[in-house]
Amino acid sequence: MNASARPAGSRRADFLIRYAPVLSIAGFAVICLIFFAWGSPYFLSGGNMLNLFRQSAPLLIVAIAMTFVITTGGIDLSVGSTVALVNALAAIALQAGLAWPLVVILMLGVGAIVGGVQGWFSAYQGIPSFIVTLAFLTGLRGFALLLTRGYSIPIAPGSWFDVLGRGSLGPLPVPALLALATAFVGFVVLDGTTYGRHVTAVGANLEAARRAGIPARRIAASVFVLSGIAAALAGLITAARLGSGSSNAAVGFELEVIAAVVLGGTSLFGGTGTIVGTVLGTLTIAMIGNGLILMHVSPFFTEIATGAIILGAVWLNARVFARLAGPGRRQ
Amino acid sequence: MTAEPLVALRGIEKTFGSIAALRGVDLDLFAGECLGLVGDNAAGKSTLTKILAGVHEPDRGSIIVAGEDVRFPDPAAARARRIEMVFQDLSLCDTIDVAGNLFLGREIARSGFLRKRAMIDAAREMLAGLQIRIPNLTATVGSLSGGQRQSIAIARAASFDPLVLIMDEPTSALAVAEVEAVLTLIRHVKARGVAVVLITHRLQDLFRVCDRIAVMYEGLKVAERRIGETSLEDLVSLIVGSGGA
Repeated sequence: MNASARPAGSRRADFLIRYAPVLSIAGFAVICLIFFAWGSPYFLSGGNMLNLFRQSAPLLIVAIAMTFVITTGGIDLSVGSTVALVNALAAIALQAGLAWPLVVILMLGVGAIVGGVQGWFSAYQGIPSFIVTLAFLTGLRGFALLLTRGYSIPIAPGSWFDVLGRGSLGPLPVPALLALATAFVGFVVLDGTTYGRHVTAVGANLEAARRAGIPARRIAASVFVLSGIAAALAGLITAARLGSGSSNAAVGFELEVIAAVVLGGTSLFGGTGTIVGTVLGTLTIAMIGNGLILMHVSPFFTEIATGAIILGAVWLNARVFARLAGPGRRQ
Repeated sequence: MTAEPLVALRGIEKTFGSIAALRGVDLDLFAGECLGLVGDNAAGKSTLTKILAGVHEPDRGSIIVAGEDVRFPDPAAARARRIEMVFQDLSLCDTIDVAGNLFLGREIARSGFLRKRAMIDAAREMLAGLQIRIPNLTATVGSLSGGQRQSIAIARAASFDPLVLIMDEPTSALAVAEVEAVLTLIRHVKARGVAVVLITHRLQDLFRVCDRIAVMYEGLKVAERRIGETSLEDLVSLIVGSGGA
């Protein structure tokens, strides 16, 4: 049309700008993989890899749901306490003789309700989700402690419930399969459905979403139901793997989840979420924990290293991202 | 111009606390005509257009659409009467692509799954109809220039097939070439038979696209001029309140 029209710009540059956060965490994950493979001969062994996937399954499941929450611009600090509550409740219910499928359904229901209540407070009552879920972080943990009086409650082995935490399908651990399925569904929903688009829109510009006729409050509340259900599933898997329910499970879990999501490139300001990034972020955190232990580094040092690596990776990400995206990008 | 106005405002009054924002304003809008609404800050331009768009309800006075007395308790009611407004903040989602913004809230989907290809095709057609050039429809809106963002906001509003399209300061923050593009876009919208209301501080723009200019001063419409019967000096003196009505 216009003789002096600007060319569309190279596809490669567009690709780099759009996927810079994911590419940067992917690069970081590969570096970790190479480093630990060099540091320990056991790291890349099939057994260790499967173990790594099994152990990181609860983290991944909740991180996928947390990606939705953070994409709307919210945060859910209560997931660790929900894991503990479900963990304890499930053990109590199984000990009381309830059938395991019923327990599973009930626990997922508990997660949905706990999430729904928090979503209602934050989306419909206008209380920042940080405050609402902080209150639930304390309250739910207290509730779990009250139920168990601080004791660990054993789950009688031998039922099909154990499969949830310890079973395998061929070589693949059941928890890992559940996590992969969650990640796949999360990816399809966030990237390819109307609901996922509305989640992104609510996080990008709440007022614009509302004006466009999107049920913004319902969307903002619904993501907490997702994180509640995901936390419940993580609680069930943990209970099944350890063969007991404890109110002391998953202390600090919420921070690990948020770290995995942010490491993956999802913006805490909302509007930008990536499931692929979250998967890579989760695996990176899992590899750091696992790899340093295999290298006989003190477990106390692991925490320091994890903290430093999170800060370093996000810093790199922000720098690389800012330079690639150029001055045209806002926020 | 047809004798019957598309939309008529009669005796609109609105008070915020002790401030009388509007003190009885009459205004007629005609199909295919661009009305420029000018006045100093706090003259009541924005309040008047927000009443028309259903953001505020008037304390007194009536809104008549196609001869029928109507009330707009919320923006949805105004939209149902095919009155659209492009807000100054544009109401776009920066992290969503161009096609996604054009179809925000009414995505093309099959059983809940987005049909991205279909949306991009429809978006291309929508933009081509208004001769808007955006090379890459999968670029996020946040990466576009101010003029492109404004064009997308206007295209989105125009795609609802409105009778009335209100634009609040569409050219205020734009570079020269971008202003031209937006003014051209306004002419295209007007040519479709839409009644355009343009709020602006850039008086030179009025003479490029408007047919009629209404001047607001302290909550009153102090003058209405056909574009051929006025000049920049005349408008300036009316806006600052030193001219005769």
